[in-house]
Amino acid sequence: MTNPVASPQVSSQRMIKKHHVAIMLLHWFNALVWLLELNTGAALIQSEHFRFAPQWFIVLMTGIFGTRANLLRFHIAVGLAWITVFLVYGIFGWRTYLHQEVLEGEVALDRDDWNWLHIRVLRILGRSDEPLPPQGIYNAGQKLFALAVYAMVPLIAASGLVMAFHWGSPAVAGWAVVIHFISVAVVVSGLKIHVYMGPVFPEEKPAFFSMITGVVPEEFAYRHHRKWWEEVKMLEKMHEAGELERQEPARSSGFVKALRMKQYWPPYGAALGLGLTLLAAFLLVGQGIGASGGFTCCLAFVISLAAPDYASSHPYRSRYVQPDAPVLMDLLVFELIGVALGGLVSGWLAGRLRWSTDKGPHLSERTRWALAFAGGALSGAGARLARGCTSGLALSGGAALSAGAFVFMLSVFAAGFAGAYLVRRLWL
Amino acid sequence: MARYAMVTDLTKCVGCQACTAACNSEWDVPPGRTRTRVLPTGAVGVFPNLRSAFYVAQCNHCDDPPCVAPCPSGATFQAADGIVKIDKDLCIGCGFCVTACPYDARYLNPATEKVDKCDFCAGRLQRGLQPACVTTCTAHAKFFGDLEDPDSEVYGLVYGRGAKRIESEEVKVGPNVYYLGAKGEPDLVAETFPPRTPRMPSAGQWWERALKPLALLMVGTAFLGQAVAFFTQLRKGEGQFND
Repeated sequence: MTNPVASPQVSSQRMIKKHHVAIMLLHWFNALVWLLELNTGAALIQSEHFRFAPQWFIVLMTGIFGTRANLLRFHIAVGLAWITVFLVYGIFGWRTYLHQEVLEGEVALDRDDWNWLHIRVLRILGRSDEPLPPQGIYNAGQKLFALAVYAMVPLIAASGLVMAFHWGSPAVAGWAVVIHFISVAVVVSGLKIHVYMGPVFPEEKPAFFSMITGVVPEEFAYRHHRKWWEEVKMLEKMHEAGELERQEPARSSGFVKALRMKQYWPPYGAALGLGLTLLAAFLLVGQGIGASGGFTCCLAFVISLAAPDYASSHPYRSRYVQPDAPVLMDLLVFELIGVALGGLVSGWLAGRLRWSTDKGPHLSERTRWALAFAGGALSGAGARLARGCTSGLALSGGAALSAGAFVFMLSVFAAGFAGAYLVRRLWL
Repeated sequence: MARYAMVTDLTKCVGCQACTAACNSEWDVPPGRTRTRVLPTGAVGVFPNLRSAFYVAQCNHCDDPPCVAPCPSGATFQAADGIVKIDKDLCIGCGFCVTACPYDARYLNPATEKVDKCDFCAGRLQRGLQPACVTTCTAHAKFFGDLEDPDSEVYGLVYGRGAKRIESEEVKVGPNVYYLGAKGEPDLVAETFPPRTPRMPSAGQWWERALKPLALLMVGTAFLGQAVAFFTQLRKGEGQFND
């Protein structure tokens, strides 16, 4: 050990808090999902090329579920629940918890960790009696497993979705099968050790119970996770000295915190949200989303009120004006309303709600409005010339992997960069 | 249990595609795909010694079907009566079986995104009907029945009149669709449309050659390490920490 002086204050009775209750719940949810998914999944792989479970196990599992189709449905349903829970956790926990505390703090491997792994393996093989280097809240083995799981989980989820919903070409589905199996194999090879270490391995028993109680004995922390113990001690001292005021509540709820966050969301989180919205639109309504279509609908509605004959005979407007269907009963109209409401709520939650005109410092408000109106008219006319909504092409077309969408995106950004140079004075 | 087989008399077949049409409408086959189809060999040989035949192609419900093992989800299986079926609830549309079939009898239905093929009209058989192509054949060239029943028509045609399987030197998987022909039509068909060797898509090949051994290696190494650790622990007794 780096610190040979035995600390007299270390007690095996005193408990140190290790896990938040939300993490414990998540852990056991995850454990249950893996138990169910590994068993049903193993029973689902029947082909000689892929099978590894014995035939009697496959027969048993199929018997429990009645038919193999039921088995597959169950496997998919549990998998979807798992993906949903971890997506929510990933999106809302990213800024507040996952990114800094977990990825950079708790599971990043440092020099001590690599030494630890080295010595640990030698000790297992009986080739070394060197003491293990001090460890943080998780030891290097746990970190390695966590990193492997973090890397594999997206692969497992994505390949599972491809197989369940037939996304992509047959080649994609074929690769999804293979990726699903190999990434599960990576997790399983670590999971076996993880499960063995928890309930079976005597030295790690306190770690196992900490997943139920949330706390570990101080002595265990001192002996197994010295660096973390030192951190805890330091925080306690600072706390006693009054240097730290209320550290804990910040961790309370990532969800509420993210909602009430004063800064803007991370773009990746927002992008994921937008993608999920798009997916929901495809699944629920069967069409994509866009920005200008809603306005076109509204305009068609106004025209059909003022001049119904003109609207229904106009080659372009008549697309929107069907004899028996209300003009405004369109996803894009509701989307417009939703966008306005959602923006209002989100601005209110973040305390950002006020009347304002976003403009460059040297521009008058009137000019800004006039330019915005002109720009809007220009892009509206362009959208209609292009026979469709521009953002819709990028969003819905991109989601459908249409080549046109990507060409369009590239062109938009290229033209945008070039055009922005010409009008940069409006913003500087 | 039955062993179902189909016999097509190529002397009688006029290539009218009535079987194709009947099958397409019976099973909602999308345009451009077929469960059964008639392929002309065209004129083969040197004038005036020309030969030609129509190949009525469909799933052969092979004794040893090469399409079953590559199916990862077990959706493709051989029923006890020899009919190779697809459990549509399990099919994930990976197409491994499509490339595996030496007779190219399978297709991916773009509407359902699942694999489909001839199943000897299993649904009609249950209702006591003959397959749609047999019923509709204008020349009465198709026969369907049980090869284990010596009184059946197909038994006589296969074992009595010597109806032939379409096989090649390399691929002998025991097809159960037989062909008759007075002028050597089955041989001409076998020459023109020989079964090809089953193929595995690259994903499947990767799994077979690299990833499956890798998966076993990883899980095996972990298991071994764990076992060694366990026995070291047993030998040394409980370690640094006991409560």
